[in-house]
Amino acid sequence: MESSLLFNIATLAYLAAMVLYISYLAFRKNAIGRTATAVTLAGFVVQTAALLLRWRESYQMDIGRVPLSNLYESLVFFTWSTVLIYLIVEFKYKTKAFGAFVMPVAFLALAFINVAGISSDITPLVPALKSNWLFYHVLISFLGYAAFGVAFAISMIYLLMNIDEKGPVSNLFAGLGAIVVLAPIGYFMASQGDRMKTAFWLGLGVLVLAWFVYLIVAGARNKSQVFLFWSFCITLAIVLLVAMGIDFVYLISMKNLAAGESYKQHMFESTFLNSSTPVTIVSWAAVLAVFSFIWSKGLGLRGLLKPYIPAQDLLDDVTYRMIAIGWPLLTAGIITGAVWANSAWGTYWSWDPKETWSLITWFVYAIYLHARYVRGWKGAQMAVISAVGFLAVIFTYLGVNLVLSGLHSYGCLN
Amino acid sequence: MDNQKGIVEIFAEKVWKFFSSVKLAVVLLIILAIVSVIGTVIAQNEAPERYLREYSQATVRIFDMLGFFDMYHTWWFVLLLFLFTANLTVCTLDRFPHTWKLVTAPLKPIDDDSLKAVPFKKEMVFRAGADKAEERTVAALKARGYRYVESRGPGSAQFMTQKGIYSRFGVYITHISILLIFVGALIGSFFGFKAFLNLPEGSASKVVYLRNEPMWDQLMAALGIAESPVINDPQVGVPAMPLGYYVRCDNFDVDYYVGPSGMPTGMPSEYHSTLSIFDLDGQKILDKRIRVNDPLTHHGITFYQSSYGTIPDSRGKVLLNIRLKSDVSSAGETIAVAPGAAAYVPSIDRTIKVLGFAPYGMRNPATGEIMFYHTDNDEYINPTVELEVYRGHGGGKPIYKTAVMKTDPGQPNMPENYVITYRGYPGTRYTGLQVTKDPGVWVVYTGFIMLCIGPLIAFFGSHRKLWVRIQDRQGQTVVLVAGSANRNRIGFEKEFNRIVEEIVK
Repeated sequence: MESSLLFNIATLAYLAAMVLYISYLAFRKNAIGRTATAVTLAGFVVQTAALLLRWRESYQMDIGRVPLSNLYESLVFFTWSTVLIYLIVEFKYKTKAFGAFVMPVAFLALAFINVAGISSDITPLVPALKSNWLFYHVLISFLGYAAFGVAFAISMIYLLMNIDEKGPVSNLFAGLGAIVVLAPIGYFMASQGDRMKTAFWLGLGVLVLAWFVYLIVAGARNKSQVFLFWSFCITLAIVLLVAMGIDFVYLISMKNLAAGESYKQHMFESTFLNSSTPVTIVSWAAVLAVFSFIWSKGLGLRGLLKPYIPAQDLLDDVTYRMIAIGWPLLTAGIITGAVWANSAWGTYWSWDPKETWSLITWFVYAIYLHARYVRGWKGAQMAVISAVGFLAVIFTYLGVNLVLSGLHSYGCLN
Repeated sequence: MDNQKGIVEIFAEKVWKFFSSVKLAVVLLIILAIVSVIGTVIAQNEAPERYLREYSQATVRIFDMLGFFDMYHTWWFVLLLFLFTANLTVCTLDRFPHTWKLVTAPLKPIDDDSLKAVPFKKEMVFRAGADKAEERTVAALKARGYRYVESRGPGSAQFMTQKGIYSRFGVYITHISILLIFVGALIGSFFGFKAFLNLPEGSASKVVYLRNEPMWDQLMAALGIAESPVINDPQVGVPAMPLGYYVRCDNFDVDYYVGPSGMPTGMPSEYHSTLSIFDLDGQKILDKRIRVNDPLTHHGITFYQSSYGTIPDSRGKVLLNIRLKSDVSSAGETIAVAPGAAAYVPSIDRTIKVLGFAPYGMRNPATGEIMFYHTDNDEYINPTVELEVYRGHGGGKPIYKTAVMKTDPGQPNMPENYVITYRGYPGTRYTGLQVTKDPGVWVVYTGFIMLCIGPLIAFFGSHRKLWVRIQDRQGQTVVLVAGSANRNRIGFEKEFNRIVEEIVK
């Protein structure tokens, strides 16, 4: 398999680029910055070649299909689009500052593929996926997701730069307290059967949504809450990635998956869903520690980065532009999906969870655009909406396949 | 007296104002985003037993009352969508006249008063004289494709120009496209239907079974204006919609991906049915081999390959073909035999008895031994027929026993001078068709196309205005450049500065 070798080279190139971009921020040597760009570009070229090669390999295997149709390929393609959009931003805005934030996303996504043990086999397509629409639908959707991903990274920088004080420690305690109170309730309700579990998730969803709405409405004024939100987003990203990484190591070393079982069924079993109570408690303690650490060190990080980050207006503008690119792409992605569904099943919209979540994402970014154009909002509130939008993107992309069920095929992680 | 408004007018004004607010739009978007989540968490349109297994009786009752089991079709969700549409319509109507005025109004020369509202401006003294200034202005504007208008007064000349005015319509194209999608969906539910038809191989039907009846027919029937064409036969239990013609399934088949050994892997690569359309007099009109993603449409009704299955306890006949080994080009003779029965084949003077049929058999290439596998849903992955061959009209002992399979035409296992091949097992399976009529789909597609174009125009077009005023003030030439843009101000600022530079140099 030559393509998987090339994919590994690309992964390593992105790892190197990540390190280089971070050192560029730290040492401010132009040579490092140029090397970082060159390495990224090289990684991108190699990855492009790998994608094309994989496409050809599928023809050699007599399956003959676009490499965009399972979770492995979609993650690879997501990385590819993110790097593409990042490179465009770098050349257009002549700033290398974002590289240190975007490249980790690209590297982590590729690493996640290896860590989560997602199968890289080229498998044949089920008949419903055999359509030319597959290519357009997935291509357009992922370019859109990538634009939103870049918007998210820049919004996170914006929010960090926007904060000048942490706010009272009571905020941190409130955040930690919420975790300490909600986690046991979640465990208890989940142990009471499926309906209590659903009730818990719905309740938690309502709480989180209420907080988001409050932040968006009062975003600019309550900076300490915005900082709490920032810490929450960063913690969530770190915790999810680390927990899935531990899962993978645990599953390989401790037990092998039985036939027909998928990774999905064992998700978080080595940490939050472990059968041993001490392990669960330690996992949650780690979450609390990460959260407190990020919350207390956030301002320090801001101080370190401040000299290298472009003006806040520019950050706001780039975020908007990414969303102005991403939203039409998402729209076109939903539309191509609808047209395809109509040619396959005779109905262009069936409110399947994936469709509905893509529509929810579409609503969130529509709110962003209207708030900006018509109500003239700028700054922190917009960055919060952009972050919430990306959480919706992540849920549309992964959450729906992992948590809910529907017509989309690439959710199977086995 | 004139300005005294009647209560109706006040009310209408209030309603209009309520619906023309963008705040309402944002609030509705938030509400729609939040309530849409419910239907993704609770499985929709499942059997009541499944809900009772998952939730307590009280919860099921509450959820059922709120319509959570078919959330996207409840009155309150549809009402939300209608409110959103009304909001969108009123917003569009409310703002469009203003935009229209803006677009059609001729560009006016700028004066010191209106200059205040212009974001980009630069005034400077120009030493090379008014003529030179005009010359350079014209050159700078022409180089960028600006078509300008001149206006001259005593001691002053003004060049006015604008570009990208069409981009003001982008937002309307976007909004109207969403309205079109709503209208198309409404047309679909009023005049269209969704139905299904399980059609056994070899049989025909002139009705399909409705999942939902067209709302227009329901309405007309309820008002007593026209009778609904839908047939309600209590024996069938499902309302049937007449097609106006017959549809027949000639054949249904599944193809499988072939593994490295040349044997099917059991993973379907394609489902297809050959459908024929006959008019009510039995005249054949057309036929088509449909597959997933490639349906058949006739008279506005579309047939989609959606599922298939085996008819329980059906007595189909196995189709076998017999051909002499020496005569490769001949079509041979085809016979139909029910499992357990036998048939005499005159061309070879043998009687073939079909012992049994299995949906998935495999031959060990080394030993020739046949193994049978279980298949889900009785899929015919590699149909295998076990045979006994007798001399003449039968009776006596069989000459030999063999098996023929779909993928292996039996060639190596035919001891005599003829070959028996498997041709099919019709009458035992049905093809599951999804049948829809949706006259609104083209309205929806028009909306889709506009929705792809509208945002691009709105986001990436930019209405730019430029004024260059060249004035003579006490013998000094003063050049004023002013401009505005409704999008991409940063990009416009760069262009603006370059134009200023080119004029002043």
